[in-house]
Amino acid sequence: MALPRAIDAPAAPAKIAISGVTKRYDAAEARPPVLLDVDLDIAENEFVTLIGRSGCGKTTLLNIVAGLVEATSGTVAVDGAPVTGPGRGKGMVFQQHALFPWLTARRNIEFGAKSRGLDPQAAHAEADQLLSLIGLSAYGDKYPNQLSGGMQQRVAIARALALDPHILLMDEPFGALDEITRIEMQDELLRVWQSRRKTVVFVTHSITEALMLSDRIIAMRANPGGIAAEYRIDLPRPRSRADVRLAALHEKLWEHLR
Amino acid sequence: MRRALDRPSVQGAAFLVALLLAWEAASAQGWLRAFAFPPPSRIAEAAVEMVVSGFPEGLRLWTHLLVTVGRILQGFFLAMALAIPLGLVIGRAPVLDAMTAPLVTFARSVATLSLLPLVIVWFGIGELSKVVLIAYGCFWVMLTNTIAAVKYVDPVLVRAARTMDVSGPRLFATVVLPAATPRLLAGARVALGVGFMVIVAAEMIGTIQGLGALIMEARTFYRTDISIVGMLALGLLGIAFTSGLSWLERVLIPWHTGLAGVRR
Amino acid sequence: MNAARRNEAALGAVGAVAVVAAWEAVARSGLVDPAIFPAPSAAIVGALTRLPPGEIAGSVAISLLRIVEGFALGAALGIALALASGWYRIFGNLVRPLVEVLRPIPPLAWIPMAIVWFGLGEPSKVFVIFLGAFFPVLTNAYRGVTGVDPVLIRAAQTMDIGGLRLLVRVVIPAAMPDIATGLRVGWGLSFGVLVAAELIAAESGMGFMIMNARQFGDVGVIVFGILLIGACNLATDWGLALLIRRWLGRWHSV
Repeated sequence: MALPRAIDAPAAPAKIAISGVTKRYDAAEARPPVLLDVDLDIAENEFVTLIGRSGCGKTTLLNIVAGLVEATSGTVAVDGAPVTGPGRGKGMVFQQHALFPWLTARRNIEFGAKSRGLDPQAAHAEADQLLSLIGLSAYGDKYPNQLSGGMQQRVAIARALALDPHILLMDEPFGALDEITRIEMQDELLRVWQSRRKTVVFVTHSITEALMLSDRIIAMRANPGGIAAEYRIDLPRPRSRADVRLAALHEKLWEHLR
Repeated sequence: MRRALDRPSVQGAAFLVALLLAWEAASAQGWLRAFAFPPPSRIAEAAVEMVVSGFPEGLRLWTHLLVTVGRILQGFFLAMALAIPLGLVIGRAPVLDAMTAPLVTFARSVATLSLLPLVIVWFGIGELSKVVLIAYGCFWVMLTNTIAAVKYVDPVLVRAARTMDVSGPRLFATVVLPAATPRLLAGARVALGVGFMVIVAAEMIGTIQGLGALIMEARTFYRTDISIVGMLALGLLGIAFTSGLSWLERVLIPWHTGLAGVRR
Repeated sequence: MNAARRNEAALGAVGAVAVVAAWEAVARSGLVDPAIFPAPSAAIVGALTRLPPGEIAGSVAISLLRIVEGFALGAALGIALALASGWYRIFGNLVRPLVEVLRPIPPLAWIPMAIVWFGLGEPSKVFVIFLGAFFPVLTNAYRGVTGVDPVLIRAAQTMDIGGLRLLVRVVIPAAMPDIATGLRVGWGLSFGVLVAAELIAAESGMGFMIMNARQFGDVGVIVFGILLIGACNLATDWGLALLIRRWLGRWHSV
């Protein structure tokens, strides 16, 4: 088993290729860009976490990959094809669960399944499977406001998975949850991810969360936003929060982030 | 030029002007009857006539406006003077609140204008009737909002004040009242809207003064152009009042950011 | 909790009974002229003896019909315009100033023009009621359509939902609570303008009933009519609120 180490480039060919991405919100260029000349390759089925303090552009970068925000310059390619807009193949989970409040948990998941073209019957079956995968089979008929925060976020993950995306983009999905629920959700996510393998790009504020989940951590800095350091974590999952090797990496990351 | 046309306000204004021009042209062509759809130029002339000589002769626009404003404000302030103290008391006393709740609900459902014949029998067709009618409409809106304003003051604020040894009248004056102010002002705004609706009906009866009377009177003399001037004046008056209250809100409660669920 | 609610209802009943009893007592005390200030019992009994039940029912029916017609028209047009102007930016830019000019004009101020445009028959009454419903529905629905949580729209976009499908499947459902609010306010205003609408050369309806009673100085019928209009308003508003709760209450706390 290898120790955590800094790396230069991922070994596998890129699933997501981000090259030279710059984003400015002011045309006058008075302020430093939100992102300046970011290059990042992400391999297939890799779990990559973007971490940094507010204003480092990590959410903007995620939104650019999602196709929700356009880069000022530079390109993002998925499987070699440039991203031109949001859509299939890229599921997204938001910090606020973003479930449709007028649909039940099941209908929310079916909404995702149908939007990739499944007929109602197949969508129903898919929703059944996903509800059981996230352990909420008994809650399919509940509306989002009848679910706890953790349950809502699990349904949101299931809805994203119902698109059968190859890429799962997660924007601080557990940021609004309490610490205990958050730890449960991290374990839950790993379990789900291991049964439905995806390329994951995960944005977080939490160093511990990044250490527990990621194959690779991208530490970002602000003004201008960009990559400060990368760390690969070759430790098997589930990982222990008490692992000394993670503690060492925690220190290093903290050096970059503070 | 292209830059300007991209601005929403410019687009809207341009559309409005285009509409008025089309209306004018359609009138000139005889496609629209001038009586039913007096062209903008006629309305403008009527507005000038209203300002200069007035309608009926001698009653200028300004006079109608002042009379209407006077009636609305009398009714409005009468309602405020009764509703706010009463609402503050009811809102702080849960038993009173429970006792009055069904009555208040029913009284609010009573259409203010349906009181018109009763008010005429009681108070005649003079000024008092109009003021009473407006006051009735404003009163119940203001009362419900005042009760709600006091009742739904965040209990955490009250508890926080108690830990600082503030209680009794001081608690009311320094915590409850300020916390209730946004809703009181919102209620006042809705009440004023009610007053505006009622005034037009109130002025249909027994008067030739006031904007409501003007628009009715003008029609019987086939002066729809003047009716429209009166309608526009009422609209502008409404806007003026609303912006006045918004200004008051900014002055009185600069700390306030927004309010959900104003009772109508 | 339930006991508290029962307690509240009992207190409310006590309050209502006390006020009605006080009214009754004052009217019977001889301090006031009962012809001008009738006791509630006298007003109701008097009205029921003077007006045949069929006539009362007919008045209620015709008034409700006018309200339903005007309200349905106002609600339909209000929602349609709100969707169009809230969703299609250019259309919204064009229409908004026009709406802002017309909106502050009270519905009743349109009565003279309604008579000129539609004559003295039913359409002018329905038009005035229509205006009462139209603007509140429009304003609330517009707020709903333009105030949809952007994260819901982004979520839908990541699921490849765009264009008209986004409007129908995300924006309209999300705007429903605001639309429902507009419907209730609009319904209340429809009732609010009813009497004035029925002042336009009407020979039927509850508004006519009380205005007509004034001609004969029959205060009993007037008081009865006021209570009747209030009761109709309260009952239908209650029904509407119930429908809305049935319809949205599952996912939205009303």
